[in-house]
Amino acid sequence: MRRLEISEKMRELMTGYYMAGMQADCNAWITSGAPVELLHAFDVYPVYPENHGALIGATKFGGYYCEFAEKKGFSRDLCSYARCDIGCVFAGTSPIGGLPKPTFLFACNNICNTVVKWYQVLSRIFKVPLFVLDMPFIRKELKEHHLRYVEEQLYDFIKFVEKITDRKLDDAKLRDVVLKSMEAVELYSECLRMASNRPSPMTCFDAFVNMAPIVCLRGTDHAVAFYKEMKQELEERVKKGISAIDNEEIRLLWDNIPVWYRLKWFGEFFEKRNACLVADTYTNAWSGFKVVRGSDVISGIAEVYTVSYLNIGMDMMVDIINRLIEIYDVDGVVMHSNRSCKPYSFGQYEIQKKLSVPSVIIEADMVDERVFSEAQVVTRLEAFLEML
Amino acid sequence: MKVGYLCTFTPKEIIHSAGFLPYRVFATESPITLASGYIQSYACSQARGALECALNGDFYAFVFTRCCDTLMRLTDIFEFVGKRVHNIEFPTKIGNIDYYVKELKEFLAVLKEWGGDVSFESLLESIKLYRELEEKLKKLFTLAPDYETVIKVQQIDVKDAIKLVDEKLKSAKKWGNKPKVLITGSVCPYLKVYDLFREAGFSIKDDICTGSRFFEFNYPSFEPEDLDSALRFIAEKYFYKSPCPTKHYSNDRRFDYVLKLAEDCDAVVFLLVKFCEPHFFDYPQLKEKLEQMGKKVALIELEFPVVSTEQIRTRIEALREVI
Repeated sequence: MRRLEISEKMRELMTGYYMAGMQADCNAWITSGAPVELLHAFDVYPVYPENHGALIGATKFGGYYCEFAEKKGFSRDLCSYARCDIGCVFAGTSPIGGLPKPTFLFACNNICNTVVKWYQVLSRIFKVPLFVLDMPFIRKELKEHHLRYVEEQLYDFIKFVEKITDRKLDDAKLRDVVLKSMEAVELYSECLRMASNRPSPMTCFDAFVNMAPIVCLRGTDHAVAFYKEMKQELEERVKKGISAIDNEEIRLLWDNIPVWYRLKWFGEFFEKRNACLVADTYTNAWSGFKVVRGSDVISGIAEVYTVSYLNIGMDMMVDIINRLIEIYDVDGVVMHSNRSCKPYSFGQYEIQKKLSVPSVIIEADMVDERVFSEAQVVTRLEAFLEML
Repeated sequence: MKVGYLCTFTPKEIIHSAGFLPYRVFATESPITLASGYIQSYACSQARGALECALNGDFYAFVFTRCCDTLMRLTDIFEFVGKRVHNIEFPTKIGNIDYYVKELKEFLAVLKEWGGDVSFESLLESIKLYRELEEKLKKLFTLAPDYETVIKVQQIDVKDAIKLVDEKLKSAKKWGNKPKVLITGSVCPYLKVYDLFREAGFSIKDDICTGSRFFEFNYPSFEPEDLDSALRFIAEKYFYKSPCPTKHYSNDRRFDYVLKLAEDCDAVVFLLVKFCEPHFFDYPQLKEKLEQMGKKVALIELEFPVVSTEQIRTRIEALREVI
């Protein structure tokens, strides 16, 4: 498999990001789908426990750090991002030496209600204030009163941060951050779209590895510069006809969070069978954070963040997946039924029946390698690939 | 016609005033089989059991309220299997009443589509009836908790429910002085489980969603004067009901509530349904606080249907012995 060179740069960039966190005088632990633009506008450094969880999973330390939380009574059935992160707090370290102690916490439930509970736990451990941005679940359509509800909370949040940091929100700066965020999201989306080329210049594993900047550095120049460069590399590959794998015969779409501790294993498994996972629903979720309505920044943020991929009903999810199937011209969908992520996984049995191409469901967990059953996964995937 | 619901934050008054029977759906004694084709095994057995009931039962519709991630997705799954559904967006963060009143107004429109018109008079009547039922249940439980009754009243008409509780009140006797256990958790419709506590020599106090949390409310101080204020009354009533771990309250109201309930108890048992994230996230820190208060704490994990009670009995008897 020909990995993207930009991945090296990503490692440097993220090392710098984590180092900066150790020195920041004010930081907030924030969920991956929260409107981080507001924090940047306040010069508050955003810490992403979910990204940290993914990193722990990728370094295969998931089970190890989960056990620190389990020993304190946190059930093994809880989300493994939460479990390993809380475990690191108790362990006092992590593969990157732990996260800096938060000044405050910012949880937005547009990805799950798990984060509300997780951040309540953190709030009690660190004895710091928690702001919950409560997003109505958009089962069928976004309504005006839902939007107003979110907008009012965004104004509450601004007051909340102003009080803690003793800083005033600078409107011009917020606008600037939002524009940068939009630019990064646009570039990032263009990168992902490059996989619609046949053969594809990248796999979804490249997307997984290189999604950290869009999550953690959205709204900064770093993310813009990074995805510009990634796009260049991909364009170059397309121009020269360089494909991610040799003999791309089958094109597939991945659904759900990756199995972080098995990225390489999955990559090789599919490559050996001339199958390329060209795209996925997880990294594509961030490509949606780009519509700002009219000139009111707050109302734009409210709208964009309320209709995030995991905060919408099944019909809308089916439409999105079918659109991805079309854009990337895939032959089948591999659905990861992820024990750790209920809002992502429940409904997969139904979604599967509404897709325009065949699909297969495999059972695993995103971070906790102790529940991975290789033989079962191999049997299911092999049978599926033979059928295609 | 039955309108099924799962969560105690569901505004039963509105469903009732539209001429439907609000009917709480529980997992039953039957094994869960059909539901396994529609939802993964790591969904809690209350969700899977309710889906099983829906697939087998005769309901006009189902009303969901946003509470946990599982129920959020279950609405779509119910719709997928051909059920008529509506999801009320009960906020996770308790605070904004105006927003929730708008959500309830939308619910009225949905009920109208379902053929149930709600007038101010009919809603006021339902509000009064449910309040009467809740206050009587509260009285009954201060004498002697009666789980058979509280579960039964959630599946019959409110007027019949009041009559039933009246009957029970006539014969209810205050429990003698026995060590008291607080049982805290989500749903437990299995009466056998409560019997085990009694048989082990405990008197019971509960913080269970099928027990006290069904009837523990703080009522607003105003009287509804029109449909709008009646909806506001309901919104406030449910905002300030006995707190639930699926919600976010300021100042950790949920923890304070449980700690206060535990004050006069000798032991606390977490009776938790496997895979219930909201309760399991709270458990370690709440347990720690309870132990700091000097309470004996035990965790019992449930899966429905409860097939073997002997293991649970052993746990409860062991707890009784250390008090």
